[in-house]
Amino acid sequence: MVIFARFKSFWLGTLSFAVLLVLWESLVRLGWINPFLTSSPTDIAVHFVRQTQSGELSVNLGVSLLEFALGFGGAVVAGILMGILMGWYRLLEYTLEPFVWFLYSAPLIAFYPLFVIWLGLGAPTVIAITFLFSYAPILVNTASGVKTVDKELLRAAISFGARRSDLFFKVVLPASVPMVMAGLRLGVGRALLGVVVAELFGATAGLGYSINYYGALMQTTDMFVSLVVILVLGVGFTQGVAMLEHRFDSWRVGHEQ
Amino acid sequence: MAHIQIENLSITYQSPQDGKPFVAVDSVNLTIDQGEFVTIVGSSGCGKSSMLMAIDGLIAKEGRVLVNGREVNAPGPERAMVFQEFALMPWRSVLQNVLFGLELQRWKGGDRIKRARHYVNLVGLSGFEDYYPHQLSGGMRQRVGIARALAVDPEILLMDEPFGALDAQTRDVMGDELLKIWDREKKTALFVTHSIDEAIFLGDRVVVMQKGPGRIKVVIKIDFPRPRAVELRDEPEFATYRRRIRDLLSTEVQELQRIKEDSHG
Amino acid sequence: MADSAPKAGRDVSSFSADSRWHKPVVGLISVGLFLAVWEMAPRLGWIDPFYTSAPARMYSVGLEVFQSGELMENIRVSLVEFCWGFALALLAGIPLGLLLGTNATARALLDPLVTALYCMPRLALLPVIIMWLGIGMESKVVVVLIGAVLPIIVNTMAGIREVDPNWARAAVSFGASRLDVFVKVLLPGSVPAVLTGVRLGLGRGILGVVIAEMYVSVAGVGHLIVTYGAAMRVDHLVFYSMLVSVFGFAAVTAVGKVEERLQSWRGD
Ligand SMILES: Nc1ncnc2c1ncn2[C@@H]1O[C@H](COP(=O)(O)OP(=O)(O)OP(=O)(O)O)[C@@H](O)[C@H]1O
Ligand SMILES: [Mg+2]
Repeated sequence: MVIFARFKSFWLGTLSFAVLLVLWESLVRLGWINPFLTSSPTDIAVHFVRQTQSGELSVNLGVSLLEFALGFGGAVVAGILMGILMGWYRLLEYTLEPFVWFLYSAPLIAFYPLFVIWLGLGAPTVIAITFLFSYAPILVNTASGVKTVDKELLRAAISFGARRSDLFFKVVLPASVPMVMAGLRLGVGRALLGVVVAELFGATAGLGYSINYYGALMQTTDMFVSLVVILVLGVGFTQGVAMLEHRFDSWRVGHEQ
Repeated sequence: MAHIQIENLSITYQSPQDGKPFVAVDSVNLTIDQGEFVTIVGSSGCGKSSMLMAIDGLIAKEGRVLVNGREVNAPGPERAMVFQEFALMPWRSVLQNVLFGLELQRWKGGDRIKRARHYVNLVGLSGFEDYYPHQLSGGMRQRVGIARALAVDPEILLMDEPFGALDAQTRDVMGDELLKIWDREKKTALFVTHSIDEAIFLGDRVVVMQKGPGRIKVVIKIDFPRPRAVELRDEPEFATYRRRIRDLLSTEVQELQRIKEDSHG
Repeated sequence: MADSAPKAGRDVSSFSADSRWHKPVVGLISVGLFLAVWEMAPRLGWIDPFYTSAPARMYSVGLEVFQSGELMENIRVSLVEFCWGFALALLAGIPLGLLLGTNATARALLDPLVTALYCMPRLALLPVIIMWLGIGMESKVVVVLIGAVLPIIVNTMAGIREVDPNWARAAVSFGASRLDVFVKVLLPGSVPAVLTGVRLGLGRGILGVVIAEMYVSVAGVGHLIVTYGAAMRVDHLVFYSMLVSVFGFAAVTAVGKVEERLQSWRGD
């Protein structure tokens, strides 16, 4: 997996980040690029502290995280439940599959104005978009995990007297955990995208809102403060889920390589 | 007394390509007594696994299988199967895999974990209780499968090439061990193997199967007293049995060869 | 999931494949049913058509905007932006992925950067890009580019690295040069992963052009979507939203099919 940072590359990576920052700062100081358009690392740091002290950052971060939690949390619960049902009952799978793939691959943001008409501008729409963005990958992966359970294992369980509920709880569910985790990993990034984009379009608070707000005022440095926070969130969430995935996945043969 | 009675057992699969019916096992009749050890040999694909699974009640069949005089169509606690492909739960450790059958059968008789440990030791895996299947060798995995089946204390053991992944030495030791358990716990055993020696050494009777469709060719009674020692294999009678079974199996191979050539030519 | 003992054979076999037509037929019926309910619900007064429009109206709207020229003109704008951005993403992403996949030093230096960007919602950069490049076509092209390029880089890199090293060893033992190994083993070996990257990038790119146009623009399908949304003209809004979605769905599915085909040729 690309995601798992190896130890050596960690230091080289840190180095390349550092070089990038130094370069950026120097170019601004030397007057080769216009800080009005690009800001500079030190300016961003100063504004970061300022936004933190004024409480502005924590408000925006809090709003975004809450919306993220509700949208993604809902998608996790609904996606896993529906995925299990779709993996278990074939008729349901066939019935819903076209819609699920549509949700998966269509640029759903196009329905944003419709959501605004339905739910109004603000948090409910942001949460709905977040949910929609991350629901499909979780569902699809869960369903395929349930569906592709090794038939030999089901057979062995039946041989030892498994009831239908045993098959479900003792074979199908544990066997599909790795796929569910993969779905969560795909979903978490899309959920964050959903939050930020929906906030860009219309919100009264949140990281996306802040970028949009400062963008309109042409205050580049303050935009970058939120961008950095979003970058950190993106990496943190994805790595977090990847680590969780790795842990749940350790029994899978050949995973280590 | 007949413990297992197989009457006119036929198994038909649908071919995965064209969906046409394919007869894997054709009208097999066999009666196995209480406490008998029956081994099955036959070339690959002659329907040995299918037959065992039908007896366990795992696949659809025609004909009847009676256990203790009662017809069975589904798995039951009096039968336990050792699968050819191990079929261990990869997310469960060795001990948890052995516990699996006990859990599913809602085992009431005392301490499950103690019981599971006992059988893990019995198959020579003490010290590996917390290993996961992917950390074990093929032979070790198969032994977990054997322990899992023994742990639920079945009357009947259905074993599908349980020593298939073992080296020759371990194989002999395990065979010896299996005979002891079988004798001590008074089990009825149905044992599939590709080793002619093993079939003779272990079995009260050897069922020789043929292919296309899978049928019983002959059933050979093995007249060696028990307990049997490893030296038995050097006896001239043993060699006679060996030659006879080998001939039976090789004529089949030749016949198949001929049929193939005919259909090509 | 009733808690009964499973019957012989049936439970396991019910997981196996059934006849081929079953799936598409059920799918078609369910989509048909969905459209029927969508059409009938407002007519029967179950829901207010103002909020949902209806399939039959899509047809009349489609005809109207086609005849007025609005449809084709804006599709052209969006497509041009998208194609430029995506072409650049392919041109930059595949070579970069190949480099990162074959060169350990480049990978050590850039992998964390690439991973960080890959994990972050890059569309958050939209306002910055608009500030830099204005509201015209350039900003859209760049948004498509940054959306699409990272999945392409990451998957190409992973594809090269997952090529079985034994193949390369076998080639070397037959006297292949480094270039030979690259051209004859690594490149063809990584094609499926590259296609995966292309499929993911395509989805991101289409999303990018729509969002960028919706955010601020003077033309394009995304522009129409916000315009009609703001005017609360739901029929037109739904028409264009569906249009974009169906296009994205079709494009991604098509690449997915090619990918599947390729995988089955290779037999894995
Ligand atoms: N699920 C299935 N669907 C279709 N055909 C099957 C299925 N399972 C087995 N068969 C076919 O039935 C025949 C018998 O298979 P079986 O596994 O019982 O053979 P076997 O005697 O156990 O062989 P081996 O010694 O190789 O284990 C084979 O020709 C096989 O292709
Ligand atoms: Mg077999």
